[in-house]
Amino acid sequence: MASVIAADVPADPRRTRTGSAPRVPGRAARRRDMTAGLLFVLPMLVLFVMFRAFPALGAIGLSFTNYKLSGDFDVVGLKNYADFFTSEVARNALATTLLYAVIYVPLVLAVALGIALLLNHIVWGSGLFRSMMFLPYVTSFVLAGIIWTWLLSLEGPINAVVGALGQAPIPFLSGAQPLILTSIASASVWHGYGYSMLILLAGLKTIPEELYESARIDGATAWRQFRHITLPLLRPSLFFVLVIETIAAFQVFDTAYVMTGGGPARASYSLVYFLYDSAFRYFNFGQAAAVGVVLFAIVLVLSLVQRLVLDRETA
Amino acid sequence: MTKRRLTPAHLLAGLLALGTVTPFLMVVVLALSPPYAPTIPQTWPASLTLDNLRATLASGNFVRWTWNSLVYSVVSVVIVLLTAAMAGYAFAKKRFPGREILFWSFLATLMVPFQAMLIPLFILMARLEGVNTFWGLIVPTLANSQAVFLMRQFIRDLPDELFDAARVDGAGEWRTFWQIVLPLTKPILATLGIFVFLWHWNDFLWPLVMAQSNAMRTLTVGLATLQSEQVARSEVMAGALITVIPCLVIFFLLQRHLVNSIASTGIKG
Repeated sequence: MASVIAADVPADPRRTRTGSAPRVPGRAARRRDMTAGLLFVLPMLVLFVMFRAFPALGAIGLSFTNYKLSGDFDVVGLKNYADFFTSEVARNALATTLLYAVIYVPLVLAVALGIALLLNHIVWGSGLFRSMMFLPYVTSFVLAGIIWTWLLSLEGPINAVVGALGQAPIPFLSGAQPLILTSIASASVWHGYGYSMLILLAGLKTIPEELYESARIDGATAWRQFRHITLPLLRPSLFFVLVIETIAAFQVFDTAYVMTGGGPARASYSLVYFLYDSAFRYFNFGQAAAVGVVLFAIVLVLSLVQRLVLDRETA
Repeated sequence: MTKRRLTPAHLLAGLLALGTVTPFLMVVVLALSPPYAPTIPQTWPASLTLDNLRATLASGNFVRWTWNSLVYSVVSVVIVLLTAAMAGYAFAKKRFPGREILFWSFLATLMVPFQAMLIPLFILMARLEGVNTFWGLIVPTLANSQAVFLMRQFIRDLPDELFDAARVDGAGEWRTFWQIVLPLTKPILATLGIFVFLWHWNDFLWPLVMAQSNAMRTLTVGLATLQSEQVARSEVMAGALITVIPCLVIFFLLQRHLVNSIASTGIKG
């Protein structure tokens, strides 16, 4: 799962000595400080080199080989990438993931923003609602998948309502591809909208109430207040949420694995599913590594766009 | 002072909040329904029983998976907190060559999605014979930049005098860390600990790849297997209920704390 930090304040060496006059340490003390610093960083540094830096670079290296589990490999150049963009299965996985993102991102944004606006409107007692809505976030995607498989099944409660309305049951998990992906997206939205909602709510709380008061005095409608005060001032939070949710959409796997097994007929076969299968079903580790690099490239572009837009806004 | 009045917004928000937690209540009912007997949504079950839960706990599998999830989560929390606090302290208060570039390299790895590193990590662990072992499952997940970042930010704002005083008193570096840094960082350690625990408890892809034997499976992987093997729904739901209990306990004890720390740090589980 991607981890993102909202408040990455740039390091300023002058700020490291909070509240005290600059110390003038002797040479011995400085050396002691330096040794201690290096020793304290060492365990995490070893972990990082072995389990982050090495695999990140290793992924690129592996993607140019046809690595086998035995350890044998040949360098095959760009073959894995060429295969990726020409193979039917891989292209289907990419298209499926894109369609999933197109469904999931607007859905989760609309739900999170709508509820954040609603809760922001409530003067007292919204804490309880906020907590209840955040609850699914502390559970797993596997659990969300299991619950929603039942909720959306032909004999589940949602189809019970459909039946009570006199309609035929809807095949949420075996119908057309957009329907299946919407079903999987619903499970993910239920699981995670509380997080994005909290970020947006925190953003809404920073908008000064006076702006709305003066707008009301000028006779601005609720829609115009939303359009000209809320939206522009909420942009940084909205953009942050948009990017992390888009990245999450491109990484969809757990819910698809549990709810549909990637099916039926690969209708919910995502990019990460293809990565997983390439390695652990077909033992084509080079191909799987190449999929990982493609995924990394997508995430990188999204992160850079976020950086650029936010920098331009604060500049 | 605004009067405490119920508004239509309260009603709407209350319904949405209730709708969000209702699936959990349904899991409880399903887990307590006798297997293969009519139950919700068609009808309220004729009787509720603890048999499913008892059977699930009696089968060796589930106890084993719970133990595996506990080891994976608890050991990871302890080591991540310790190593991240050490690194955060060094990045915040010690001067050594390469400090800034190292710190920002740690942060840069946040941009690499875990799935992109999955294959090289798996191959590395396979070569080190770590597949189907606890250490192979745990160690690669310990490199946690988010934890290092939050520890550094927190410790940076602690006054230097505290550490200088300890030095004047003749405390060694390790004692300073143990007796001053760790106690002072308790609030952030608690927040981080909860998130690291939840992240590991709920983790799926890495245990799916690393725990291939039934004996090494974690609860999430075990549950997904039950689901795919089409065992009785009551049994799956009993398992789901057991899996979610630690999350709910943490949530009810600490929900205000969790909710506030997301708003202030953007920490993501």
